[in-house]
Amino acid sequence: MIRTIAKPAEKKVTGCGECRSTCQSACKTSCTVGNQSCERITRETNPEKEVK
Amino acid sequence: MYHVFKYKNYNYIYDVGSGSLHSCDQKTADYLAHGEGQNVDISYLSQTDIDAIAEDVRALEEQGLLNAPETTARPVKSGYVKALCIHICHDCNLRCRYCFADEGAYHAPREFMSEQTAKKAIDFLIANSGDRRVLEADFFGGEPLMCLDVIKNVVAYAREQGAKHGKKFLFTTTTNALLLDDDAIDFFNREMENVVLSIDGRREVHDAIRKTVNGRGSFDIVLQKIKKFVQSRGDKSYYVRGTFTAKNLDFSNDVIFLAEQGFDSISMEPVVTDIDDLAIKPEHLPAIKREYEALCEKYLEKWKKGEGFNFFHFNIDLEGGPCLSKRVSACGAGNEYFSVVPNGDIYPCHQFAGDPAFRMGNVYEGALNSRIREKFASSCLFTRSDCDKCFAKFICSGGCSANNYHFCGDIQKPYPITCEMMKKRIECGMHVLAVKKGMA
Repeated sequence: MIRTIAKPAEKKVTGCGECRSTCQSACKTSCTVGNQSCERITRETNPEKEVK
Repeated sequence: MYHVFKYKNYNYIYDVGSGSLHSCDQKTADYLAHGEGQNVDISYLSQTDIDAIAEDVRALEEQGLLNAPETTARPVKSGYVKALCIHICHDCNLRCRYCFADEGAYHAPREFMSEQTAKKAIDFLIANSGDRRVLEADFFGGEPLMCLDVIKNVVAYAREQGAKHGKKFLFTTTTNALLLDDDAIDFFNREMENVVLSIDGRREVHDAIRKTVNGRGSFDIVLQKIKKFVQSRGDKSYYVRGTFTAKNLDFSNDVIFLAEQGFDSISMEPVVTDIDDLAIKPEHLPAIKREYEALCEKYLEKWKKGEGFNFFHFNIDLEGGPCLSKRVSACGAGNEYFSVVPNGDIYPCHQFAGDPAFRMGNVYEGALNSRIREKFASSCLFTRSDCDKCFAKFICSGGCSANNYHFCGDIQKPYPITCEMMKKRIECGMHVLAVKKGMA
């Protein structure tokens, strides 16, 4: 039996380039794209994060 | 392409093309692992078992969640600059043995960036940012707090220029916290989107490496200061960031130690060094993999008790993470992200700073070396052939260009030790995701 744990949400926008630079993350030596969030989704789901 | 892996008694299937994660029973795991090319005996499976598994697989394939075609998304290639790492000084008040930056000096005379040069870097960023509205600048060193007054003036200047040009700046500072006083805390809390504070964990681990210029351990001073800062930080971002070496392969104890100091945002990175007694070597990998599992267990134990914390490398967001264009683009160093050193010279990132072969220009000249920039701009997951068959490729994007270059001599050539650690962290992160969703 196979159970799905997670699948990507459908995204309206891809390649918008608004994501934060990976190297501004926590590590500076093993910057990992997959540990980042999509900046646009973050803003859309949390208006307080909107950068005015 | 998919990847079947076991974590303790749990079996997982990660579908590379769709980015989906599934759990499954042992028979299904064995059957699919065999199909993936793993050396797994499936002779015990009956035809009825195989038919049932095939039916499950077919259903997922029809939904595009297994054996999904891999992306044809192309890398983000805006041609704009969106972030700078500003080396506000090449000097440091610590003498950490493992420092990739030569204890802050970057293999050159110790040097401070002038306010004029730092402002010129801001001008360079704005002038080359195209229509991008949000820009990032990271104050880096050496130790940036040795130049707090310059940073304050540069931030004020960037805010002023940003307002004129319709740009919003997000600032980060990476600091060893030794000079983190009330004034710096107040400034950081007002102006810094993120602050990265270096502390390696337990006193004996930290003090063995992170010594002051007088040779004394810095643990007692920085722990107290970081605690004070974090208590004042509210809901703004920060990370306490440690480094583990061959001397503390039991680094899960350091992460938990940091969590127990009240820090809820933690990263712990493998050292980047060729110093023999500190460097991570192939023979350390089995212990490191076991340690990531140990950390995963301790992390989940705390989470279940309501004492959860954020560990950077376990943040695998398969549902809302970066888009595929970003995932194949890697970090953007040398193309949309650069480092500026105290004399204004520009490099692809902080780890290339000072290497003449990678000098791309100077903020006073304005122009960037197009040959080097194109080399980095055209570098992406699809140009890293070693990554073709790796399940982790859409999460790690082919690794760190600097790491690849320094260990393998080519920004396109992933460093196998880093890859092995990365893959283990990803598997642990996926298990964390399953547990948090109540599915493990």
